[in-house]
Amino acid sequence: MKKFLIRILMAAALLFVLNWIYTKWFYKKDVAEHSDILELVWQVEADSCRIVYLGESSNNTCGVEELGRKKISEYLAEYFPNVKTGDMTKEASHAQTYYYLLKNLSRKSTVETVVVTMNLRSFDARWIYSNLETPLRKQLVLMEDYPPFMNRMLLALKAYPIRSEEELDSLTRQHWREDPIEFPYEFEWDNVYQWDSATAWRGLRNYENEYDPKWTELACHYIKSYGFQIRDDNPRLKDFDDIVALSRKRGWHLVFNLMAENVDKANAYAGKDLMYLMKQNHDYLLNRYGHLEGVTVVDNFNLVRDVNFIDQDWTTEHYYEEGRRIIASHVAEAIKAFYPNDYREQTWPCDEGHYYFGDEVRQLDAALPYGPALMLPTDSLREDWERVNVAFMMQQPDTLHIANLVVQLVHHDGGAESKYYSPQITKVGEWDFSTYDLSVDSTMRAAQQLKIFVYNPSEHAVQLKCMDVSFRPAYLKPGVKGQSMKKE
Amino acid sequence: MVFNSIEFLIFLPIVVLLFYVLPQKLRWLMLLAASCTFYMWFVPKYILILLVTIIVDFAAGVLMENYADRPKLKKAFLVISIVSTLMVLMIFKYLNFLTENLSLLCAQLGIAKHYVTHIILPIGLSFHTFQSMSYVIEVYRGHQKAERHFGYYSLYVMFFPQLVTGPIERPGNLLRQLHEKKEFRYENISKGMRLIIYGFFIKMVVADHLGAYVDKVYAEPSAYNSWSVMLAMAFYSFQIYCDFFGYSTIALGAAKLMGFDISDNFRTPYLAKSIAEFWHRWHISLSTWFRDYVYIPLGGSRVKFARWAFNILVVFVLSGIWHGAAWTFLFWGFAHGLLHIIEKALRNRFPEKEMKSKWLSISLDALRIAKTFVLVTLFWVMFRATDFANMKDMFVAAVTNFGGGESLGVKPEMWLYLGLFILSDLLLFNSRFDQWCENKPMVLRWLIYGLLIFLTVACSSVNSFPFIYFQF
Repeated sequence: MKKFLIRILMAAALLFVLNWIYTKWFYKKDVAEHSDILELVWQVEADSCRIVYLGESSNNTCGVEELGRKKISEYLAEYFPNVKTGDMTKEASHAQTYYYLLKNLSRKSTVETVVVTMNLRSFDARWIYSNLETPLRKQLVLMEDYPPFMNRMLLALKAYPIRSEEELDSLTRQHWREDPIEFPYEFEWDNVYQWDSATAWRGLRNYENEYDPKWTELACHYIKSYGFQIRDDNPRLKDFDDIVALSRKRGWHLVFNLMAENVDKANAYAGKDLMYLMKQNHDYLLNRYGHLEGVTVVDNFNLVRDVNFIDQDWTTEHYYEEGRRIIASHVAEAIKAFYPNDYREQTWPCDEGHYYFGDEVRQLDAALPYGPALMLPTDSLREDWERVNVAFMMQQPDTLHIANLVVQLVHHDGGAESKYYSPQITKVGEWDFSTYDLSVDSTMRAAQQLKIFVYNPSEHAVQLKCMDVSFRPAYLKPGVKGQSMKKE
Repeated sequence: MVFNSIEFLIFLPIVVLLFYVLPQKLRWLMLLAASCTFYMWFVPKYILILLVTIIVDFAAGVLMENYADRPKLKKAFLVISIVSTLMVLMIFKYLNFLTENLSLLCAQLGIAKHYVTHIILPIGLSFHTFQSMSYVIEVYRGHQKAERHFGYYSLYVMFFPQLVTGPIERPGNLLRQLHEKKEFRYENISKGMRLIIYGFFIKMVVADHLGAYVDKVYAEPSAYNSWSVMLAMAFYSFQIYCDFFGYSTIALGAAKLMGFDISDNFRTPYLAKSIAEFWHRWHISLSTWFRDYVYIPLGGSRVKFARWAFNILVVFVLSGIWHGAAWTFLFWGFAHGLLHIIEKALRNRFPEKEMKSKWLSISLDALRIAKTFVLVTLFWVMFRATDFANMKDMFVAAVTNFGGGESLGVKPEMWLYLGLFILSDLLLFNSRFDQWCENKPMVLRWLIYGLLIFLTVACSSVNSFPFIYFQF
């Protein structure tokens, strides 16, 4: 037995020496080869960054022909020229990845503020069981809390979930079948699997009222991507909770950057039911993290318009320059409180056909029933603009539709014709958003002037902000718009 | 559970610890539970198939012994047992292949209705069914007493170190040892650990790195130049050897930790001077199984040449089909058998003469070894290819792509790993790593352990390559 114990001690000493040799001469090479994500942490430390932005492809994806090709984090850095800002960007990453990255930041690092991307789709089964998950998890093994030699052993023994594409596909389908979706009203389907199948089976009609396979496919994508309800056992929540705990321990300012989703398309293709789920999930995240001490949630959820989404035939958070700038401006606004003296206002021109009326809150009441109005001579409407997205945020005292979106056409003879659209507001006393996809038709073009505004005919006061009007072609053409490219 | 997983590295010490802590009367139960856990880690429900085989063969063994004085009845029990075991094998391993081929035949004959099954092969089925059959045959022959304890018999079939890829044990060796009381001995732990470390090195460092190169070339042979294709063929010879040898060595080591000696499966097979010798050195437990239960009952070598050749072909074709339900495996077995016959015919025609010069003798032996290696390597192409088209592409690319195509771009460290393995294999000629270490100075031993552990941890492939023989 004594001999046995001596051998155990010798083995321990041997492992200690092997760990030293490995750390000294082999570890860095292995990190470069198998866990380049860890190099992002080292880079942030080497650059002595004070603000660090953690994101996935939403941070560094640009349109193919874009001239402004900066990342969201780079636009953010422009607001704080005197505060060193860095980023850790890895495609398909999510809260768990961010937690590992942050955990590996040295205690001596200069980081003060951490901006963590919160992507709604990352809570969904398709992301949780994504085929990118295995390589991502593999990258995290070398970042575990053990000595490097032990981590390398875990990597050698494949101590991470390895799932085949078939297995992942089956898990996703199983989740879609078994995860119920619940509405406060009667809904035809019990789960996403049924909903998606029925949508695919029935088909969707396009603007010309014809069954359109492309529309149907896109509607199904949206249903599968957003047709879920975040519940307390969602694995991402634990990861975000871990980030909060770690951030408190390290004394960082923590900012969760809730990314913009293409609510315009979701509404246009899958309608109010999907919007209900999206809003519910959005509210869940805001309620869970928005009130925590030391945590700021930047809510970009509905603030980027369809025209600013690069991928038009898929659900992504890839934005054109204007979209990236919008996100950066909101994050900067939140961080301003931590660096008031270093903040420098930034401006940028809106894209042609895009009109944004700002974040300022307007009260619409009996004294002033009209919100800000877009007034546009119809001869300035470009030939290829076939649709117009109108979106705004509203807060109203009850659920009656007391304020409406008005699209008014002023004809050459001085007469006016108005169409009223009820807001899709379901909440009372809270900010809620509406989005409309309207046709730029020949009647509109025949008029002299187009006016778009929100009108409150009631005596109850209604708050309005973030009014946004964007004109666009019916489909964005692949190759011109609708193709994304990672920024190097 | 696979050996090269973190789960196994946790599982094994717990089992070994419990084994020595528990009293002898409870050890079989613990080992059986551990073996069930080990097997059910893959797909739990497949244990039911194993259970059917175990029940049938256990009952057959007992009944054969009880009715030893009634030869016809005894034979009937043997037949029932073997047929039912083979039926399990047939359904789970060969039915897909049969229905696929029937379906093709139906299509050729213009018959519209045909059906192809898609049954998933339970892991290690061929190994434990053969192990179970060997018990029944040995009891029938009277070489083995029937096991009356269902638990011990179950453990004999399911003993976790050799459950999924062998070695295919005989009851005379394993079943006997399961009944023996094993005392804790430092020597067993030491030898077991040595074998495990060496097994991990050859599987995770050598085989898995080679696998990456092999997979690339087999996926698209025409994209590579002839030298690279030939290199990939040679690499596969080492990959499959290191993969299977590595697994068997870990199995040996895991069993040794608890004092069990299971059979060696390899004896430097690539130093064989003929195909016949190769099969004495490669997958020994399977070769001897076929020898004892098929070849000898057919008449073995004590028959005329033609009959002997027939016996050999039967054995090798069966061995090919045992490996996998595909024409390529059958062809592979047939090719080995045919070459074996040709070699024998040539030896009969041109008997070997004793060389006067030692160097000439060594040179001739080296040439014979090289010839055998080249032939075995060429045959492995049939074994590795996904189908005949892939096999043809490999051979065509190997002889026609000298001018163009990509180079395999083998990293220098690959040569180091392969070189180390070849060196170790030569040093271990007709020996085993644990025995080889035995009389070396302690400092050298620990340096070797350190080197092997370091290479296994720091230089192992991070890509996922399942054990090749798992599919059989």
